[in-house]
Amino acid sequence: MDDDQTEEETAFVVDEVSKIIKESVEATIGANAYQHSRVNQWTTSVVEQCLSQLSKLGKPFKYIVTCIIMQKNGAGLQTASTCFWDNSTDGSCAVRWENKSMYCIVTVFGLAI
Amino acid sequence: MEEYNSGDEVAFNADEVNISIKECVEGVIGGTDYNQNKVNQWTASIVEHSLTHLVKQGRPFKYIVNCAIMQKSGAGLHTANSCYWDTATDGSCTVRWENRTMYCVVSVFAVAVTL
Repeated sequence: MDDDQTEEETAFVVDEVSKIIKESVEATIGANAYQHSRVNQWTTSVVEQCLSQLSKLGKPFKYIVTCIIMQKNGAGLQTASTCFWDNSTDGSCAVRWENKSMYCIVTVFGLAI
Repeated sequence: MEEYNSGDEVAFNADEVNISIKECVEGVIGGTDYNQNKVNQWTASIVEHSLTHLVKQGRPFKYIVNCAIMQKSGAGLHTANSCYWDTATDGSCTVRWENRTMYCVVSVFAVAVTL
């Protein structure tokens, strides 16, 4: 029983991370329409909030958080990522969010120390 | 002499990675126009080739390679990333490439592995 608990504390939990991302995005751009002048501070704010919430989890991980905000204009966007890591301990989580005027894609990669 | 060399190998060399990523992108989408049917295999191809090239260098790093391709149609696109790691050993490199019909942004993150 103790072993199981230790494993959970040090594993990359996708649901937990997904929740953190959704909250950060909602808090930063939840009620806004795309604005060219503010998008810079929005992306910065989203990644910083996610990162501080993740580090508060206190798990032995290094984190990389990326955020893409794109105006809805009919353009096509394709993203892909590939990772060379330890499958048993590392993980990633991507969240796609949108409102009437923009898309926001946030990806978190967690690498065990 | 041997000690000096191993010091070099362990740090993340952003310039070298920058060059090899540019070559990789040119190789895959160099002379092409944005094509919705092919963009899926382009992004997959770019990240896979980049990763293979990085791994071949045989350095003690875990890698994450991210690629975004966007059609040029007047839309605004903004990307940001933030990393919680060991700034002495880990590093990242982002390459922005464009042609007449599309933008391509590739980011490489390298995290040191403690052996």
